[in-house]
Amino acid sequence: MGLIVSIILIIVALALAFFLVQMAGLLALVGIIIGGVLVGFGVHFVPVGGAPAAMGQAPGIATGVAMLAAGAGLAGLFGGAWAAPLGFPLALAGGAIGGGLLMAITCTMVNVVYIFGMGIPAASGKVDKDPITGDTFPEYKSQGTEGHGLPFISWVGGVVGGALGGLGGTLIYLELLEVYQAQMPALFGASVEQIAPIAVSLAGVFAIGMFLMNAVLAAYNITGTIEGPHDPKFKRFPRAIIAAAAASAVAGIFAIGLLELLGVF
Amino acid sequence: MAVKIEVGAGGVPHNQILIYGLVGSIILIYLTYLNEVTNTEYFAFFGGLACVAALVWGADTIKHLCSYGLGTGVPSAGMIALGSGVIAALFGATTGVFAPIVAIIVAAIIGAVCGLLANHVVRMDIPVMVVSLTELAVVGAISVLGLIAMVGGTFNFMDLITGTTVVLGFTVQSYGTSVIGGSIVALIFMLAAIAIQHAFNACLGPNEMQDRTLMLAAECGFLSMIPIAVISFAFIAFVPALISLLVSLIGWFYTYMRYIELSKRDAYAWLDAQPILEPKGGA
Repeated sequence: MGLIVSIILIIVALALAFFLVQMAGLLALVGIIIGGVLVGFGVHFVPVGGAPAAMGQAPGIATGVAMLAAGAGLAGLFGGAWAAPLGFPLALAGGAIGGGLLMAITCTMVNVVYIFGMGIPAASGKVDKDPITGDTFPEYKSQGTEGHGLPFISWVGGVVGGALGGLGGTLIYLELLEVYQAQMPALFGASVEQIAPIAVSLAGVFAIGMFLMNAVLAAYNITGTIEGPHDPKFKRFPRAIIAAAAASAVAGIFAIGLLELLGVF
Repeated sequence: MAVKIEVGAGGVPHNQILIYGLVGSIILIYLTYLNEVTNTEYFAFFGGLACVAALVWGADTIKHLCSYGLGTGVPSAGMIALGSGVIAALFGATTGVFAPIVAIIVAAIIGAVCGLLANHVVRMDIPVMVVSLTELAVVGAISVLGLIAMVGGTFNFMDLITGTTVVLGFTVQSYGTSVIGGSIVALIFMLAAIAIQHAFNACLGPNEMQDRTLMLAAECGFLSMIPIAVISFAFIAFVPALISLLVSLIGWFYTYMRYIELSKRDAYAWLDAQPILEPKGGA
């Protein structure tokens, strides 16, 4: 039932986008939906440990999804927005590198604190062997815990997740920026350079908003904590992708149609 | 791993807080419209008060939602609230005098869709999910719109995107020095998002008391008003901005003292290891 409703919502939103802003709006909404899906998918890679991780009783970064996603997404957006004048592919790459870099630094420092500060080795509780390095975990895992620290596979997951999140957030930002830069000059009788602060500001804040919506829906999907791509919970990601697509479509149509009601009342 | 979050029972019923919060914040936000009627900026601070009223309601909603143990932490609820609310608030702002009403309707649509997706696609199956996310999105929209009205003196989109700068003694219209062009909305987003989730995040646990949680929510709201009042010096005249600053400072001081009082009331019974007393403020 949820799947059918989601598909209907996406189709209605796409039709509205075409009706309001013609082909450019339709393509922008498709870009926003892809961006939202990337964010929702990316969150599943990030090793979120939550409160148990802070006490060294579960693997992952010791905070919630909302904080990690906000950090990676904003870092990605900064990277992408900085590179926006250099063209579409470079901006997307800048966003992905920004998000990935933030997660790489975070994951490294988390392990520094775990290993040198708390004196605990990295051990996953969900798998016996690291799929990449082949390190074994059971002999390092403390009794009564679900594992601890940040194994290499989780580190890789964090970086991949940050990169996907940054990429998705930047894609949303760029699509909205394009829509606003096409509409605003004619509407306000100003040049593209003059309206740039408004267009950038609106696209930026909407990108943050949609990013957090999708990240929280993905967080609900993994019910808070996940170790990374090797965690059995990772297999739930199709549900989050459907939810992220529908949520981005509904939020995106209001963002794209922002200027349609201007001056009507 | 779902962490069990305990909440106190009783207190003022949630639906009553919902009605007070919704009606109160709409009335307060419309009071900022007196600025345009009287052609002054003295009523800007009502926007911040609308935000406080909405945040108190939102903190109670978060309390209801998070008592089910989402497993994602309380801040995530605040983030999704403002994430959907900011889109609705800015969409609403383009409709002139109908801004608050349109923002609430759009926020309710986005919030309800998020709730339906969370319950039926992501399969959270939490009974209050749809209602709570709808309420939270509305709270987010009202908070953003209220603080925007406070900083700019109006919630009219055209006035929010144009500012004036003085270049060589001449006053020049510029989009970059406006409330939206200056990206003040991004700051408002975070100030409101932190304010909405902090109250329950700080007060949850055994012996959680509704009056203490909601007092902290009001305190956070006034605390968020202070930086907004300081920023409003750049956008509205000196005296109205000073009034905003004074209102926020007085409001913050009063709610902070009340919150400390309530904390001492609740902590006393625990520190002295006495049997839990029935507090007078409604448990």
